[in-house]
Amino acid sequence: MNRTLIWIAASFFALIGLVYAMSRPGGSTVPRQPKLNADGSEASIMLFCAASNRAVMEAIKERYEDECGTRVDIQYGPSQTLLSSIEVAGQGDLFLPADDSYLAMAEEKGFVAETIPIAKMRAVVAVAKGNPKGIKSLADLKRDDVRLVLANPETAAIGKVTKDVLSAQSKWSDLEASTVAVRATVNEVVSDIAIGAADAGIVYDAVLHTFEDVDQVVIDDLKEASSTIALGVVKSTEQPTTALHFARYVTAQDRGLELYEQYGFGVEGGDQWAETPELSVFAGSMLRPAIEDTIREFEEREGVKVNRVYNGCGILVAQMKAGQKPDAYFACDLEFMNQVHDLFPEPVSVSNNELVILVQRGNPKNIRSLKDLSREGLRVGIGHEKQCAMGWITQNTFREGGVQQEIMPNVTVQTPTGDMLVNQLQTGSLDAAVAYLSNAAGAADFLDAIRIEGIECSTAIQPWAVAKESPYPQLASRLFERICSVESQDTFKSEGFSWQLEPAGR
Amino acid sequence: MSQSDSAEATAFSSTTPTPSHQTKSVAATPDDAPKSRVRKRSDAPFFIVMSGISATFILLIVLLLVADLRFTSLSDFRDALSKPEIIAATRLTITSCSVAAILSLWVAVPLGYLLSRYRFPLRWLIDTIVDIPIVLPPLVLGLSLLILFHQPIGDWQLERFLGDRGFSVTYRWPAVVLAQFSVACAFAVRTMRVTFDQIDPRTEDVARTLGCTRGQAFLTVTLPQARRGMIAATTIAWARSLGEFGPILVFAGATRMRTEVLSTTVFLELSVGELDSAVAVSLLMVAMAIVVLLILRLLGTGLNT
Repeated sequence: MNRTLIWIAASFFALIGLVYAMSRPGGSTVPRQPKLNADGSEASIMLFCAASNRAVMEAIKERYEDECGTRVDIQYGPSQTLLSSIEVAGQGDLFLPADDSYLAMAEEKGFVAETIPIAKMRAVVAVAKGNPKGIKSLADLKRDDVRLVLANPETAAIGKVTKDVLSAQSKWSDLEASTVAVRATVNEVVSDIAIGAADAGIVYDAVLHTFEDVDQVVIDDLKEASSTIALGVVKSTEQPTTALHFARYVTAQDRGLELYEQYGFGVEGGDQWAETPELSVFAGSMLRPAIEDTIREFEEREGVKVNRVYNGCGILVAQMKAGQKPDAYFACDLEFMNQVHDLFPEPVSVSNNELVILVQRGNPKNIRSLKDLSREGLRVGIGHEKQCAMGWITQNTFREGGVQQEIMPNVTVQTPTGDMLVNQLQTGSLDAAVAYLSNAAGAADFLDAIRIEGIECSTAIQPWAVAKESPYPQLASRLFERICSVESQDTFKSEGFSWQLEPAGR
Repeated sequence: MSQSDSAEATAFSSTTPTPSHQTKSVAATPDDAPKSRVRKRSDAPFFIVMSGISATFILLIVLLLVADLRFTSLSDFRDALSKPEIIAATRLTITSCSVAAILSLWVAVPLGYLLSRYRFPLRWLIDTIVDIPIVLPPLVLGLSLLILFHQPIGDWQLERFLGDRGFSVTYRWPAVVLAQFSVACAFAVRTMRVTFDQIDPRTEDVARTLGCTRGQAFLTVTLPQARRGMIAATTIAWARSLGEFGPILVFAGATRMRTEVLSTTVFLELSVGELDSAVAVSLLMVAMAIVVLLILRLLGTGLNT
């Protein structure tokens, strides 16, 4: 009896001792100078990371903790399992799956806000060291003396990519028929070859980096087969700014991407690293009410600075020609984008805005059309032809309507921005002004807008472009994503713009 | 599945050699010498067949280990063991498995006893529920734990409730122990139940007629008899916890230096293509398991005296 009780007590104390030993934090990696949150707790973020990225991620984490002081806790696992964890537990700040197919899944389910590309993985043929079977082409894979393993198109992205690319060339079914096994993951395929259980398999080149006794053969048929690795910010995160800070670090060309390259991944592009990047955006002043709030929210969420310069597009173009280089440029009209085409090779048309005749509320001068602006004694304000897109379009419209000669004598003022015309109308120093509908959006109480009918070129199209030489192309494109968000589109519409850009399926 | 597992459990509990006085009765007496010669001849095939079949399995396992050993080199092994992450994982593995095993035993003894001794309504249901962790796919068990801790009930949630009291479970060490315990305990209960089934309840009845309460009878008479079964249950629970990996991966994650146990280390090393390291860690686990099994075996025999 006593002995039994002694044993029970002993097991109890053993339990207490073991639990105590476990609850003491082990020699975990603590940054040298831990960064603290506002409430004095140690700042930390949680990343759900595909196990295949572990080696490189550990290196990045170490460097980041040293440099920035925020602790990074990383959960490794299979991408699909991590995705389920995020779904169920709603924890975690960042998600880095093995390839972007999982991020697409997460986006569909609405778990991911931003995604930032990291690296590209190409499909190659893995063979034993020295390629003893002399595999050079797809035909070699089908040989009887070559034991081929492939990854399952249902469970592994490499399988799906391979199947899609080869099916398009109608080469898939033959290849599939000549496999000795189909494996669930890309790693199992490489392991088979490393151990010698198979002679060849189609895998991602990045996976082979750690295998010393496996070589790769690049095959032309698989040229198109590649996947992107990208990092997603979990929508439910309570600290998007901290999460994005680390995300920027991982995807910076001179930080995380450097390490990714060392670990055998193909990287291209990427932003330069800066603790607080400063993005400069030039935008036509008509766009200010439409984008200002969105940019401010973006600054807050990302923890970056966006220096915006609003002005007449002609003036902005002149500044750029004089050597100023903004990261992004949002022009009032295509014409003013074309003038700096060498700096901004890929503009996207975002919205349009029509030119209207603005008059005092109630239209006391009874102005009905462009023709009426040529009436004797009217004081008309228009945009300056050289300084802004509005002026340039106004002149085109006058020409098109055949009223240029008649109206110009009445023009008492030419301004670089539409806001100035609105102000002058308000003070009563003008009777009418030709400006954008969006200029009148904030002044509907004391202005009326009269449509200009039947002239096609009276509509301006606003293109957005990121500078070819910008050090922050990714950051700029994330800002653009925000500008294209549904909320932002609503702002555009309420400011008198029409939205033009079709949602691009990424 | 549970069938074979309980069989495995009984095999565990009857590993000690039978006492010698039983084998003596087989020894031939001079009276029937010719008979014994016949018997000796007929015994040879018996032993050959029996040991032949047994040897195949033993050989298979030995060959597996030999192949692993040939695959790694001593330097790989040394490299693996000198990594601080792996040392931390080893420490966590030993402690968490031990905690899970002790907890399993604590639950398994009363539960096994009740299931074995008493007939009560819905006993079949309880019996089935105990088996669920054994048949549930490991990843699903982990996911279920995750769902349980994060299920919002109104605006109450178990994880948040515990977290506010400074005892977060998910992605921390308690999650590791809980994941191991939920599977290990099911096996321990099976083992204990079989153990109590084999102990004659009459000894308890006798103790009670001599004035013991039920509790006293259980502590003084039944438990000492169930000693070997308890050692076996602990062994099984510990071994199961050691190999447990699916639920831990989902429920506790695999954070280096924090919730990484050796089984997840193996998985992680495999997924970055570090086969050498994975095999080295696996061998380390085998070595650990052997040591622990031996310690428990010694405990078992030590208690016999």
